[in-house]
Amino acid sequence: MSADIGALPTEAAQKSLGQFALRFRVSGVLAFLILLSAGFAVLRPQFLTPENLSAILSNAAILMIVAAAQAVILITRNLDVSVGSIMGFAAYLTADYASRHQDIGPALVLMPLAIGGALGAFNGLLVAYGRISPLIATLGTMSVYRGLTYVYARGQEVTSNKLPHWVNVLPDMRIGVIPVLVLLSAAVVCVLAAFLRFYPLGRRMYAVGSNPEASAFFGLRTQRIVLLAYLVGGAMCGLAGFLYAARVGTVTVVLASGWELTSLAAAVIGGVSVTGGSGNVIGAGLGAVVLATIDNGLVLLSVPEFWRMFIQGVAIVGAASADVVIAARIRGSLRARRQRGRSGR
Amino acid sequence: MSQRLPQWELTLIVLTLAAAAWSATLSPYYLSVGQILYSTRQFVYPGILSIGLAVVVILSEIDISLASTLAFGGVLFSKFSAFGVPIWLAVPSVVAACAALGTLNGVLVARMNLPSLAVTLGTMGAFRGLAFIIGSETGYTSFDDSYLFIGSEKLFGALPVSFLLFLALAIAIGALMRWTVFGRRCYAVGRNKEAAWAAGIDVARIKIEAYALAGGLAGLAALVWIGQYGSARGDNADGAILFVVTAVVLGGVDINGGRGGILGVVLALFLLGTMRNGMGLANIGGPTQTIVLGALLIVGVLRPAIFRAVRRLYRLLTPRPPTHRPRGGPRSQSDYDRRTQGQTRKFAHMTRRNT
Repeated sequence: MSADIGALPTEAAQKSLGQFALRFRVSGVLAFLILLSAGFAVLRPQFLTPENLSAILSNAAILMIVAAAQAVILITRNLDVSVGSIMGFAAYLTADYASRHQDIGPALVLMPLAIGGALGAFNGLLVAYGRISPLIATLGTMSVYRGLTYVYARGQEVTSNKLPHWVNVLPDMRIGVIPVLVLLSAAVVCVLAAFLRFYPLGRRMYAVGSNPEASAFFGLRTQRIVLLAYLVGGAMCGLAGFLYAARVGTVTVVLASGWELTSLAAAVIGGVSVTGGSGNVIGAGLGAVVLATIDNGLVLLSVPEFWRMFIQGVAIVGAASADVVIAARIRGSLRARRQRGRSGR
Repeated sequence: MSQRLPQWELTLIVLTLAAAAWSATLSPYYLSVGQILYSTRQFVYPGILSIGLAVVVILSEIDISLASTLAFGGVLFSKFSAFGVPIWLAVPSVVAACAALGTLNGVLVARMNLPSLAVTLGTMGAFRGLAFIIGSETGYTSFDDSYLFIGSEKLFGALPVSFLLFLALAIAIGALMRWTVFGRRCYAVGRNKEAAWAAGIDVARIKIEAYALAGGLAGLAALVWIGQYGSARGDNADGAILFVVTAVVLGGVDINGGRGGILGVVLALFLLGTMRNGMGLANIGGPTQTIVLGALLIVGVLRPAIFRAVRRLYRLLTPRPPTHRPRGGPRSQSDYDRRTQGQTRKFAHMTRRNT
């Protein structure tokens, strides 16, 4: 982001400014989460029991993976509204296969990853090489993938007693007190975050997102990078779909419909900008936890279901406004510094 | 560009006729005036939303909260009906309330410079939540007959009033976009926001007006909805936005703004309506219809890329006589174009704003 002013004398100061702002965004989500939890804890003491906190985390776990996938795509200034359909498609096919091959081991996990990756790559091809607006392309594939699931399933569903035993017990397994699902999701989020933070390819995704034109002139193969982002996102959605299927037990064709909006909401609340190039995966994961906390707290307060939609919507708009305000602040202070640097020379 | 647009609209007409002919072979019940007019009910309320969305998209913004605005309008109608408010008072109030929701979107997008997708994603949930909060989880079904007239009544035994309303609105908005200062400014802003601003157009204001217009139209669509279904609840028209966006894009409105018109959107609606009707009569299930809808959406947007590919193929296949330019003579504009074409084309997708 601040590469263009790297040659200025006050480089160190600007670097710390940029880092401060980024930290501020994630710590902002964290602060909001703590405030929210404090509020719920004061209103309902049972909110803070270990069982409840663990329930919130397990509810957030799968959404964390999907939000992280959405974040990777958003960072390249694109969007995927077909995540729910990819989850459903991958989950149904995998569950159907597993129901007919009972003795299959954990290698089964490769199947949703591959299916999700393929579907994501198709989105990526349409967006990067077909040059379709990402919203339109994935809106189209959203209905195509969901429709294909319907056609494949012919109205059938895969019930939990048809699934292999280890799939059914997977969501309830714990290491110590922490559910395996939560550990797995946290691991996925951390790996993605590290990839985006430390690997050249990850940095290039940010570069493409913050300025596609400039990164193309710089020599980055923007189309390939966008395709890769979609592929990774799709594979993560496939994994999430499989985990979700294991969690709910009965796999229907409408599995995970509506997740596209929830995942976008989590990413936006977590500070991932829909205009690309800023935000990080950890923030998106925290956004998922925020949404799960709101859900849980509202249930404890016995507030009707539909208030959740309202609050979630307001939270998205609020988070987007906060991003714009912060971005404007950063731009303003950078401009001021640049002018100071110029006059100093 | 102005030459290519009518061509696309002609294509839509041809496709519609082809779909109708295909439907006629699939089902013996297809070819009757009553049946065809009755089938227009399926696309009237999303059609009214599409017209509003088209105006917003021409400004190179998006509004995915329109279906939620419709639900809000429907619930508001139910409240007015429950309190016995006469229809001539209810309609303007609901339209104004829905336009106010649109204005809220517009202010957030244009004055606060927020990305329109994020804003309308948020308000999509918020408005639907609001509709549930105002109504309740139980639907309202005991509407006064005067409220149902527009959505359910038929003139001369066949012609649905809702269809007439749709046509009237389409003509009005089409004329607005084509012949008024407002409409032309919308295209100017959609083509190049900075240039429009430099030319003295109040970009933010135009955008807010467009969002308000789309919201108000969603209020009218709510009137059609309650007439057709006789009920109002917060989850009305849930998921209709896919159809609406498909119609707008298939109608030739450029998602990056500045291109396309209402006529194309109306023709696309006819095409989609004919296909749905035909597939429904031929007992083709909902899932297959969804696949076709999604595929159509993608093909509709890939259209320029397909045109480009076909043209390139054509150029490759037809041998061209070598072009002669007098040595040292002035380069013509077309020479310049030819040389720079590759470059501009290569980066064309990046210079546009992604939405």
